[in-house]
Amino acid sequence: MRCVARLPLLLFPPIAVFLLLAGLAAGAPPPLPPPEIPAAHQHEHQHPPSASAEIDVGLTEKLGETIPLDLTFLDESGQPVTLRDLIDGPTIIAPVYFHCPDVCNFLQGGLAQTLPQLKLRPGEEFRVLSVSFDETEKPATARGSKKNYMASMGDFPPGAWRFLTGDLNTIHRLTDALGYRFQRQGRDFLHPVAVAVVARDGKIVRYLYGTRFLPMDLQLSLVEASQGKIGASIKRVLAFCFSYDPVNRRYVFNLLRVTGGVVLLTVSGFLAWLVLSGRKKSKRDG
Amino acid sequence: MMLMRTELHEENERGFWAGKPGLFGWIFSTDHKRIALLYFYLVLAFFLVGVSLGALIRLELIAPGATIIDAQTYNALFTLHGVIMIFLFIIPGVPAILGNFLLPLMIGARDVAFPRLNLFSWWLYLIGAVMALASLFTGGGAPDTGWTFYVPFSTDTSTNVTVAASAVFVLGFSSILTGMNFLTTIHRLRAPGMGWGRLPLFVWAMYATAWIQLLATPVLGLTVALIVLERVFDAGLFDPARGGDPLMFQHLFWIYSHPAVYIMILPGMGIVSEIIPTFARKRIFGYWAIVVSSLAIAFAGSLVWSHHMLTSGMSDMGVFVFSLLTFLVAIPSAVKVFNWVATLYKGSIWLAAPMLYALSFLILFSIGGLTGLVLGAAATDIHVHDTHFVVAHFHYVMFGGAAFAFFGGLHYWLPKMFGRMYDQRLAAIAWAILTVGFNLLYFPMLVLGLQGMPRRYFDYLPQFQPLNLFATVGSWVLVAGLLLMFYTLHRGCRHGAPAGADPWGGTTLEWSVPSPPPTENFEEDPRVERDPYDYRIGEEGP
Repeated sequence: MRCVARLPLLLFPPIAVFLLLAGLAAGAPPPLPPPEIPAAHQHEHQHPPSASAEIDVGLTEKLGETIPLDLTFLDESGQPVTLRDLIDGPTIIAPVYFHCPDVCNFLQGGLAQTLPQLKLRPGEEFRVLSVSFDETEKPATARGSKKNYMASMGDFPPGAWRFLTGDLNTIHRLTDALGYRFQRQGRDFLHPVAVAVVARDGKIVRYLYGTRFLPMDLQLSLVEASQGKIGASIKRVLAFCFSYDPVNRRYVFNLLRVTGGVVLLTVSGFLAWLVLSGRKKSKRDG
Repeated sequence: MMLMRTELHEENERGFWAGKPGLFGWIFSTDHKRIALLYFYLVLAFFLVGVSLGALIRLELIAPGATIIDAQTYNALFTLHGVIMIFLFIIPGVPAILGNFLLPLMIGARDVAFPRLNLFSWWLYLIGAVMALASLFTGGGAPDTGWTFYVPFSTDTSTNVTVAASAVFVLGFSSILTGMNFLTTIHRLRAPGMGWGRLPLFVWAMYATAWIQLLATPVLGLTVALIVLERVFDAGLFDPARGGDPLMFQHLFWIYSHPAVYIMILPGMGIVSEIIPTFARKRIFGYWAIVVSSLAIAFAGSLVWSHHMLTSGMSDMGVFVFSLLTFLVAIPSAVKVFNWVATLYKGSIWLAAPMLYALSFLILFSIGGLTGLVLGAAATDIHVHDTHFVVAHFHYVMFGGAAFAFFGGLHYWLPKMFGRMYDQRLAAIAWAILTVGFNLLYFPMLVLGLQGMPRRYFDYLPQFQPLNLFATVGSWVLVAGLLLMFYTLHRGCRHGAPAGADPWGGTTLEWSVPSPPPTENFEEDPRVERDPYDYRIGEEGP
């Protein structure tokens, strides 16, 4: 009888493995794509951004509001164009900067992959605008970027996806209207990763987050845009392109380890008590 | 003298029901059987609320576009449906109702180890439930995050997430205390002769479950506490701009919530392990295999949480490891299924209502389990992640598995609890309607998911309409089956014929006491000298 009563001791190794795995998961590399700033750019980060509340980067959804259509940007050929000329139907606006070393490329790559799969006619039933929020970028950079993506998209009409650059004031009028807040860090930027879908009259009908899009998501938002309906946001997990603060990160993991340790110690103590104290003597036995 | 005899007779006939009457006699009772019934009524009430919300969701999805409600209401509805069904119905369901009632009876004890703590757990459950309800009507409106409370949305949304998360915190404590109580009871209060090898499998299942409750639920408490901290004090724990990490939330959340899935299904497996031998009149096949697989599920199930995050941007190595571990969990689950089927083989099968539910459990749970492998494999998961395929999968496991087992358990043990038998024919009809409705409702979702219809959307593309219509009609059939089932059980418990101590010919200890059992359970401590599933008793003759 005594040996079977000790059976729960078998649970100790499982708990140890659990602890180990929890530790591994906690110590795993940071899951968000950390913005690896290439070595060439490092010198501009003499004072890396301290992770403080001062940095105002984010996205405040302004569903139902309209963006100003009288803004003039330069297109990839250097011609001035107004948004009113470009937005003649449901339009996806992707705020990016073309020399971005990281997620802007993923975002535009995500669009390049998804757009040809839509069951809508590009150029007629929808348009795409990549708008650079880096006021120093010129149409030549935009042209290079466009060439890249067009090459991967087969016979997608070039007129349906335009790559715009503009001056600081124009850029801010657009991003403010979209509720999109970014911040310059040397040559690079801290910025949210999202696109907005607007209707013909400039009304914002949806935001889509992240760098990869399901054709279904895009299509549904474009269809809604053509009907002037405003939809709920898709994929609410807002990814950021950011420089993170390793000091704070370590603090967060300590919290996890400490609480995990306390829980495991308590539970093991309880198990030890159960096993060691054995069966209770019944009063009626005595 | 005469009077005393009548009272004694009444006590015998009404068992623990004859104890202290009135509301206070119940809500302050420390009798495990009364506490089980207190849970029973509350949990069932919430189940009916959850079903109504689910039916509304289905009704909205009957056609594309806004049908009966707007998008925000839809978000609130599926959140509440999830929170209520998971935290208020299925997690407490089997352990708190059947576990509370049967555990002491099955091991030959007079009560659980800590009767007052047991009552306290119920009060915590009540308080948590009231808070969950309060979150609907106070603050910025009903929460709209889904039951998973993912950050950053849950820390940003203006709806009443703070109160809902606090409710989950309180409910978590109720669950931890129940688990601790059961563990102590099983270790310390077994009757003489009731060794570990003679524990009924339901007790073993409760034992494995209780360890998960104890080990994993604190993590949930911590996680929701962090959400509240983040919302109230803006701590920045999950905000990457301030060094936080939104993915950490998902890790913490699933470290609890995946094992929680086994808190839901293991007790169901325990019930099925009791029903099948009784109604096949045959010793369970592979007693120790089932015991070890229960413990193995509890153990391996604690190591697979990240398979909910295969598409969340973990490292490839992480995806590979968690995918592999997920496949390992399938092994003990399959061991159980094979053991049950082997028990049925050459058994003398009696298709009474509990058995019908156990059989549909076998099939529905297998479908749920196998579709789980589709989701556990990283490659296929990328295709069906966040689609209706997932919705169908977990409803097959949680509803077709855990809830069907629970219904089977109710049909099996309600005669013990109330001392009266329900109408078998009506119960079988209700079961048939329920099973057909269930499959009509959820099978189309598997197909819809493969075709790419996302979950949690209020709207969908027109091409998905036919199958959605199908599923919605299925939900009506399902609800009809549920209503008939509850009507049958209710009428049986009220007006049915006396059930007798052992209406099914069960061999575990709870069948050796009168139905309903007396307050003290056993007149004298039983001595256990047989295996739990020894059906030779009748054959040996007098």
